[in-house]
Amino acid sequence: MSVGQPSQISLYDTVETPVCTSCGRIIHPGDRATSFVCPNCGKIVIWRCARCRSLGVKYKCPVCGFEGP
Amino acid sequence: MSDQEQAKAQEEFLVPLETYRKAGVFLGTHICTKYMEQFVYKIRPDGLYILDIRKIDERLRIASKFLSNYNPEKIAVVAVRQYGQKPVKMMCERVGCNPITGRVIPGIFTNPKLEWYMEPDIVLVTDPRAEAQAIKEAFKVGIPIVALTDTDNRIENIDLIIPVNNKGRKSLALVYWILAREILRNRGIIGPDQDLDVTWEDFIVRPVRK
Repeated sequence: MSVGQPSQISLYDTVETPVCTSCGRIIHPGDRATSFVCPNCGKIVIWRCARCRSLGVKYKCPVCGFEGP
Repeated sequence: MSDQEQAKAQEEFLVPLETYRKAGVFLGTHICTKYMEQFVYKIRPDGLYILDIRKIDERLRIASKFLSNYNPEKIAVVAVRQYGQKPVKMMCERVGCNPITGRVIPGIFTNPKLEWYMEPDIVLVTDPRAEAQAIKEAFKVGIPIVALTDTDNRIENIDLIIPVNNKGRKSLALVYWILAREILRNRGIIGPDQDLDVTWEDFIVRPVRK
């Protein structure tokens, strides 16, 4: 019995990783990131990475267009 | 602005425009940071920055809607300043959130061994400069931070800002009264046209005369 090649499934296909709403970078587990629903519409979860939080980078809700902080 | 337009604008506000003026919510400082420039309406000839009341009102509405999404027992409200302590306590009595007044003890959000340790879902701070310890710890743990900011405040580590005068006792009283009322209205505890059992003037810290 021949052993077939292990299927090459990317980590990004299996796990939905959160992405920073401000800069678009992937947020790794253990990062000092935060998440909260959009303060204006409450329809979408906004993620902010530690870097964007500490620099005060703006975020924009993709649904309602609310700009924060 | 015509009388009709003025009346329409007043209807849109959470409290009458006159109340905002009386409490001095729009008064800024002589310093303005880059980010807070978007909330400034004008600069007075003496150099004092004046905040835009429409933007203050809009942000108060958004912040109260945002805070009402959370379980009130999981909201921590921090006030180190003397003028903020009474309004915060009175708001927390009505809404049911946790007040942290006076000195913020280091480790309150990060050290589980402490007896006053708490794990809030959201933190509301009165002055980002005075409550730097609370902001630092909330940032470390990843708790969203809502802050009342004046024109001279920096916005690092803050997730939602409410541009108001956070130094005046009348201003802080009015802001916390509005927040308490709007949170209760959004949660359906009081009717949409109902007010709190106390007026905003009861939230004001009265100076002790000797």
